[in-house]
Amino acid sequence: MANFFPRWTNFLPLKIAICAGAVAGGAVLAFSYYATPKTLAAGYMPSQPIPFSHKIHVDQLGLDCRYCHSFVDVAGHSNVPSNNTCWNCHQHVQKDSPKLQPLRDRMDPLLKHPDFGKPIEWVRIHKTPDYVKFDHSAHLNRGISCQSCHGRVDQMEVVYQQHSLSMGWCLECHNAPEKHLRPLEEVYNLNYSDADVTKYTKDAGIKTTEDLGLKLKEHWQIAPKASCATCHH
Amino acid sequence: MSKRIWQHPEVPADETTVSWRGLGQLEDTPAFRTWMEREFPQGVAEMANEGDAETSRRSFLKLMGASTALAGFGMAACRRPESYIVPYNKAPEWVIPGKATYYASSMPRAAGATPLVVTTFEGRPTKVTANSLHPDAAGTDAFAQASVLDLYSPSRSRKVLKQGQPAPRADFEAVIAGLAADKSAKIGFVFGHDVSPTRARLVKELTAKFSAAKFYAYEALEGSASKVLGDGVRAVADFSKADRILSIDCDFASLDPQGPVTPFFDRRKPEGKTYSAKPDAAGMNRLYSIESAFSMTGGMADHRLRVRPGQLLEITALIAQRLQIAVPTVPINPADKTLKWVTAMVDDLVASKGKSLVLAGSRLPQPFHVLVAAINEKLGNVGKDKPLHYVRTDAQGLGDLVSLKTDLENGTVETLVLLTPANPVLDAPADLKFGEALAKAKTVIHLGGRSDATAHASTWHVPASHYLESWSDARSANGVYTVVQPMILPLYGECVSELELLSALLTDDGKLVTGEGEGGTPSPAHDAVKKTFEAIGGKGSEPWRKLLREGFHAGSTYEVAEVKVPDTAVAALPASPDKTFDVVFATDASVYDGRWIDNGWLQEAPDPITKQSWDNAALIAPQTAKDMGIYDEIVALETWNGATGPDGEGEHRTAPMIKVKVNGTEIEIPVMISFGQAENTIVIPLGYGQGFDGEDKFNRNAAGSAPASHVGQVGVNSGFNAYPVRTAATAYFATGATVEKTSKRYPIAVVQEHHAMYGRALAREISTIDSGDHKGDFAEQLHNVKLQGNDGHAPPNISLYKQQDRAGKPLLSDPLHQWAMTIDLSSCMGCNACLVACQSENNIPIVGKQQLAKGREMHWIRMDRYYAVDKGNDFDPGNPALVPQPVACVQCESAPCETVCPVNATVHTEDGLNAMAYNRCIGTRYCANNCPYKARRFNFFDYNKRNPLVAHNLYKGPFGEKQVGEAPHLQRNPNVTVRMRGVMEKCTYCVQRLKDAKIRQKRGQKQEALLAGKASPDSAVTTATLRIPVDSVKVACQEACPAGAISFGNKLDGDKSAMMRAKGIERNYDLLNYIGTAPRTSYLARVKNPNEKMPDHQWIGKATIHMH
Repeated sequence: MANFFPRWTNFLPLKIAICAGAVAGGAVLAFSYYATPKTLAAGYMPSQPIPFSHKIHVDQLGLDCRYCHSFVDVAGHSNVPSNNTCWNCHQHVQKDSPKLQPLRDRMDPLLKHPDFGKPIEWVRIHKTPDYVKFDHSAHLNRGISCQSCHGRVDQMEVVYQQHSLSMGWCLECHNAPEKHLRPLEEVYNLNYSDADVTKYTKDAGIKTTEDLGLKLKEHWQIAPKASCATCHH
Repeated sequence: MSKRIWQHPEVPADETTVSWRGLGQLEDTPAFRTWMEREFPQGVAEMANEGDAETSRRSFLKLMGASTALAGFGMAACRRPESYIVPYNKAPEWVIPGKATYYASSMPRAAGATPLVVTTFEGRPTKVTANSLHPDAAGTDAFAQASVLDLYSPSRSRKVLKQGQPAPRADFEAVIAGLAADKSAKIGFVFGHDVSPTRARLVKELTAKFSAAKFYAYEALEGSASKVLGDGVRAVADFSKADRILSIDCDFASLDPQGPVTPFFDRRKPEGKTYSAKPDAAGMNRLYSIESAFSMTGGMADHRLRVRPGQLLEITALIAQRLQIAVPTVPINPADKTLKWVTAMVDDLVASKGKSLVLAGSRLPQPFHVLVAAINEKLGNVGKDKPLHYVRTDAQGLGDLVSLKTDLENGTVETLVLLTPANPVLDAPADLKFGEALAKAKTVIHLGGRSDATAHASTWHVPASHYLESWSDARSANGVYTVVQPMILPLYGECVSELELLSALLTDDGKLVTGEGEGGTPSPAHDAVKKTFEAIGGKGSEPWRKLLREGFHAGSTYEVAEVKVPDTAVAALPASPDKTFDVVFATDASVYDGRWIDNGWLQEAPDPITKQSWDNAALIAPQTAKDMGIYDEIVALETWNGATGPDGEGEHRTAPMIKVKVNGTEIEIPVMISFGQAENTIVIPLGYGQGFDGEDKFNRNAAGSAPASHVGQVGVNSGFNAYPVRTAATAYFATGATVEKTSKRYPIAVVQEHHAMYGRALAREISTIDSGDHKGDFAEQLHNVKLQGNDGHAPPNISLYKQQDRAGKPLLSDPLHQWAMTIDLSSCMGCNACLVACQSENNIPIVGKQQLAKGREMHWIRMDRYYAVDKGNDFDPGNPALVPQPVACVQCESAPCETVCPVNATVHTEDGLNAMAYNRCIGTRYCANNCPYKARRFNFFDYNKRNPLVAHNLYKGPFGEKQVGEAPHLQRNPNVTVRMRGVMEKCTYCVQRLKDAKIRQKRGQKQEALLAGKASPDSAVTTATLRIPVDSVKVACQEACPAGAISFGNKLDGDKSAMMRAKGIERNYDLLNYIGTAPRTSYLARVKNPNEKMPDHQWIGKATIHMH
């Protein structure tokens, strides 16, 4: 009787096993990567009920972050402006813009719109899980800028999430805060760069923002904690 | 799978002290041993039977396989759901989203308002705490702490009822309008015993408008003192001036307040209130207590005499007689020991003439108040700058329940408005038959927060606004004018407040305006309060704003009343016949008179003495039980279920029932042993048994008078109603009761043996005198506190773990803050205020009776209560010492829990907290198994999400009834994670408050930089900039404590912190010091201040001193 299986089949089961293992392993790796906040959350750019442009308001008009996010440096939660903040200007400015119609419906009593007096529901972009307690004021008052977490919002037509906001990403900064520390005067200046450093030091050795950050870390006794209860309680 | 057992040193043979927490421990039952060796009872963590276990393992694997397969299809769902940020339309003033706002207010109560500071988040009140600025501030008690839950209670009444059926509120408004128009209406009003100046003013206006109006005051547990002292007159104690205090069945520290109590506790600390002086017994007060059953006050007493209630008057008369007050009418024939005790005690009172204080329980019958008034007068204790003074309150000219009944029957009152917090259909003395009298009224309007028995018996029931929703005012114990301001508009539109109702009746058109008027005008109650205040604090907006900011008007007190001592020829009370029992109808520490029956926190808080939750039981002394032949049956309740094995023990634990016959009526009720209680005395707490549904297997609603509709989900099927056996003459206690055994048993939930700890002399006690037992004088006893129990001889423990990392840096590395706590057992009475405060601060769920019986209670603070008696005690061996000890996580520096966690979910923070990362916990429970303090609690179910009060609901898994988004969730503290099923939790020193304080402190850096006018990189930051001010952060339990027993602070503040001063004194000791955990919470031994002339002095303060 002829040899039914040729010689090369001797290693076939092993090859199949290796291939299957590689495919399974690859699938696990691919899923693990896909499930990280880096791919799931970063880049999230939902459309808002009113297409508010940070670029126009901050970059072109020069509004400070705190005009609208008024409690960001006193409270843990950064408030989104209430309708009356928008209405302060927009009852006079851009009175006919169709983009602002939802605001007028809610604020102008003359329109008698059913939504009058109701809040606007903004879509949440940056979200930490419920078991994470992030405090805005703790960071801003110690020299961490809005930009470190939110990116160049002043350049965004439509706001999106730039960073993953994952725990690993938080810890990167908690372990090396000098990369992000800046003088308190520059916290709301999203345009801060190495060129600004000389305003704050006469030391020729300090050239970059990171150099200045290192100095501030020493001087201000910045020692960010990395134990669990810092953010989870 | 018992835990690895630490080899504790054996009890030496010559040990003379016996100490125990529960009956099972005293009798050393096998059940108790098992509680001790495990962190949770056997069976709790296992499947009910083999079949279940097998199926579950298989289905678990099946489900896991299926879910892995399905995961591929579900990929799209990985994108998180869209969520929204909804800001205000028009931002209200003062509200910063995410930050708490605090308002001063107060809780009106019969013994004087409790001044409060209320924490609100975006308008939601979530937590109350004492207003420490208030001159009558005396912490809070469990009731005040739990009152915030009532606001959100799902069983709160929210609809107008007509004859018990929902009716439109407009119909009720028409009734009020009709009443307001009829100036000749025969209308009667029944108030509670709280004092409100605005109400007193409106009463005058009502009298002017309705010529036939009558006014009454009624509460179920009211006393008769004002009948002796005069209309509206009360006695108020000033404990700071009292060197010697005698309490005659008066629980002034807890359930029967007689004046702000904090000064009493301040003088229980030999080093002074803030631990800044040298220990000195001379500054301490001395408390004598004569009572029938242990009260919190009796547990604090230096000398305690247990007397059955029928003999109390005789003892009181004896005291009077020793003071040369003639008491011709009471036969006095005391036992020899009693005579010696009383004689020595009276001598001590006389020696401190003018600085002593005698208090009688407010619920005692009239003769007591006559005698006590005479005794205080004789001792010169009454007057300005004396320990006692009499005041005249605004509550005058109010009739009592008996006169109301007469007026109802003869038609003097046709329309009755019930504004009292009591529930007279249930709780009025049975022989008054108040329900029948009520039926004679044409219209009965009942205003109340619960649709209880009275609500159903009334023509109209109107839901009442909670005190956190309404404008009012009140007077504190000394009469300081105190405002009650709303934190939020009434949650339910139909709610009406008392003042709003009275104001509507005073208007011409009778229009009932509640909450706020049209166009946002304030409620009429606001205007009424403001008008009252103008007469007291002056016109203009400045005093009014100050009142709202501080919550009280300084300098306003009651006027002092002169009281003429009445004739002491008082009527003797009937003697207790032989072979009968005395019955005490006790005030309950959980439901008070029944008004708190629907409050889950209070129901679940174990009774401070019996440690029973969710029910009441008749309490008897152990010797009485032996005489009745029932002792062994009761002890059996502590054992395993016979020989059948441990599974399903917990909820199957039962107590035998007895039949108590008194006043010609009988009640069947389970019976429990209570130590230190007078013999032949049965104590039955009142207020339970208000409603039963189909789940009740004991047919407690046989008469049909207690349907489930009278209570909510919390109070249903809870306890036994003792009101039907109480008569007007025996409102507090009755004599001549007989008892029969029955064959029935009733399941009870008792926490006293859960989480039992090894070790001896856990709660320590010393005395200020040398009682000749070779333990030395006060100084020597102080010196030896640290050597009591095992600590005297156990060798030091060597830890495998180092306190430094590999580089040699300390692991507890924070140079700014290192948190620590002390708990002073000398002033702790064990009242549960901290336990409930912790629950409201930290989002701790209730678990229900069945779960609690299994040992699954979630309270982070375990209020231990130890009894101890010396075997040689020949004065009264049945009167053990009672030492409470609150135990929460002690934040060990070498924490045994941390080393066993496989996922690092419990780790140390740099500032010395043993933190819990809930989101990391996978629920192995290794940590709880390894905790020698048994301070960890495990969520066996999702108690927050699944309603544990719906029968069998927890076991239905995803099909069970959820309670997400219901009103109680509005009470949650937004800064604390709400834990889910399978997660371990425990005390973390209110880490959310610590973090908040630190962040607030760091903001100061910016302020300084701005003020200095320099560029921020040039501004200096020092330790002082970043360290929070000394003792400025308070944890929830500390804040709630009326006794100032808890000190908390930063170890690095040194002696500037009261906590560190307390740690420095000799009474300070670590719990289980010999096992080497280095806990951050330490305890201060209790100091008893006995009188060496007393016959029992050598047994006082010795509860633990002889322990090895």
